[in-house]
Amino acid sequence: MTKRRISTPSPTSQADLSRRKFLGTSGLALGGLALGPALLAACSSDSSGGDASSGDNELWFDNWTLYIDKPEGELYGKGGTLDSFQNASGQKIKYTEGINDNNEYFAKIQPLLSQDKPIGPDIIALTFWMAGRLTTLGWVEKLPLDKIPNSANLIESLTKPPSDPTGEYSLPWQAGMAGIAYNKSVTGRALNSVDDLFDPAFKGKIGMLLEMRDTIGLIAMSLGIDLATPTFEKFQPAFDKLKEGVDSGQIRQFTGNDYVDDLEQGSFAACIGWSGDVVQLSASNPDIGFSIPESGGTLWFDTMQIPVGASNVEGAAEWMNYVYDPVNAAKITAEVQYISPVQGVQEELRKMGGDAAALADSQLVFPDASTLATLQSWGNLDEEEEALFDAEFAKITGA
Amino acid sequence: MAADTSSDDRGLRKGKWAPYGLLSPGILWLVLFFLVPVMILVRTALSSKASRFANPEFSWQFSNFTSAFTDYGPQFVRSFLFAGIATISAILIGYPLAYWIATQGGRWKNLLIGLVVVPFFTSYLIRTIAWTSLLKDDGVILNVIHAIPFVPQDFRLLATPAGVIGGLTYNFLSFMILPIYVSLEKIDFRLTEAAADLYGTPWQAFKKVVLPLSMPGVFAGSLLVFIPAAGDYLNNRYLGSPKTSMIGTVVQDKFLVQFDYPVAAALSLVLMAIITTMVLIYSKFLGTEGLAV
Repeated sequence: MTKRRISTPSPTSQADLSRRKFLGTSGLALGGLALGPALLAACSSDSSGGDASSGDNELWFDNWTLYIDKPEGELYGKGGTLDSFQNASGQKIKYTEGINDNNEYFAKIQPLLSQDKPIGPDIIALTFWMAGRLTTLGWVEKLPLDKIPNSANLIESLTKPPSDPTGEYSLPWQAGMAGIAYNKSVTGRALNSVDDLFDPAFKGKIGMLLEMRDTIGLIAMSLGIDLATPTFEKFQPAFDKLKEGVDSGQIRQFTGNDYVDDLEQGSFAACIGWSGDVVQLSASNPDIGFSIPESGGTLWFDTMQIPVGASNVEGAAEWMNYVYDPVNAAKITAEVQYISPVQGVQEELRKMGGDAAALADSQLVFPDASTLATLQSWGNLDEEEEALFDAEFAKITGA
Repeated sequence: MAADTSSDDRGLRKGKWAPYGLLSPGILWLVLFFLVPVMILVRTALSSKASRFANPEFSWQFSNFTSAFTDYGPQFVRSFLFAGIATISAILIGYPLAYWIATQGGRWKNLLIGLVVVPFFTSYLIRTIAWTSLLKDDGVILNVIHAIPFVPQDFRLLATPAGVIGGLTYNFLSFMILPIYVSLEKIDFRLTEAAADLYGTPWQAFKKVVLPLSMPGVFAGSLLVFIPAAGDYLNNRYLGSPKTSMIGTVVQDKFLVQFDYPVAAALSLVLMAIITTMVLIYSKFLGTEGLAV
């Protein structure tokens, strides 16, 4: 998702290559990646002692792009969270933006982790379902929760998610929602149900996300299927509905983050989109709207995990504890404008005043209890079920 | 004197190995980045996986190839159809342009050829995404088309086969223009005067003299366009729809989303085999001297 900058919408800010944009363009230059993941894993680490065996007590956090309060291109950003963490703890931190796509990153680390070799970073921030996969495969360390007392500040619904029922292997980084994005100048009205996406009036003008869990998730919820205990059999009607939409020409295309352009250009009347992008878009184009469908939206979140063989578990715990302090978390939220997993951030933002205070009132950053109640997160898919889901989804998207 | 002779001897002896020495970077390159990967690909294509995230184990799993053939027929057909149409379109657009530059370019020739190449300084991905803005439903191009009588109101180019083929043609066009230009540039155009002296019309002169002499360029250009176009998936990703997916789409998804490395490898090998066969047949008809342009 693109960073939302409510106060300063500018054409260039939309051009920022964002975390989700990479989802869309994933695998572009990756044909070779699959063949030489280990090679690439080696390439992606900087030459500076990033290797797990480097011996010093540097902490290495590998994250998505534009996902912390630091200026693009700078190593830390003076006064930002990374900088102040180093000053407060004396713990040196190395922050990289090596994650472009969950599957791509998995392909990169899989050959090493499956042989019990360390991958380098001490913390990685994959999305909850991928975090669940790593947990199931036994490729992540148990978190030293006793050294992270601030985890008590976390929003309850994000602490023991279905992807990590004991809450011992992952902690949330930032969260967001998927719902319906629409262009009023094409639709002529606000949309608020998944059925609107299948309205024949919009034939050939509907977009869906390549992110299977968001697309199938929303459709399934509209059919009354709950996401907590997913099985392929139970979800078959959702796949059927999607396939019907593709076959009839109702659905035009499956996209990554590039739906933002299609929506703005009017090539899409409506699509499934991510809350964050749409706030930013609507700031410059009032025709763009976003709604959580009546039947509910999906809640996704990225997590912090410690891969097995990480050399600095202590430092990782120290970092997690630091960012779960509402004062520090608020600074990150003010910049990245996602749903923060930490309670008390809203109050801290109000205290900060200005743009940050305005953010405190945004429904998409701080959804109220009634909105939250309609959101659902995906439960864990076991290996075979997930393979079935992915294969069926691929068939429908043409792959 | 004696010292001189012996150094000559050494020179001669060295000379025997010199061709191999000169070839070694190329051979090393081919072995490392072609032969070894292809061998790994063959091995992977004949492997099976104990579980989804396990590493593939070699097991003579020929069924990967049958599933490559049976499950993805439409994508294969589309790949070759789209790539074929894109190649022909590129010839139709590229040949006249190259011909004009070669014959009328004069002292601007190099500049004009430079202009052909300039768009390709931009990334392939960016160029393709730029097409989504050009062809958008209420964009300039579509508005002009909709102004034509009898064009249906829901006519569009994005998310259609035409969009994908257009993208393929555009993206690989310069690979067609450059070799054709090179072969046309070498032609002594006094030959067309000779043809005229022999009562040939300009059209006959072109058909019987210029076109045959420029065929090596057309041949090379066709290969350079067809081969990458057949394996492409990016144009379908941005300009196509689920109904226009090509084999590259499947390979990408199999590799990076479904982790089905064996079938993905089998698909890649089948694609390579079909392309190689087609190129051999094509060169049989057009002659391989084209490759020596």
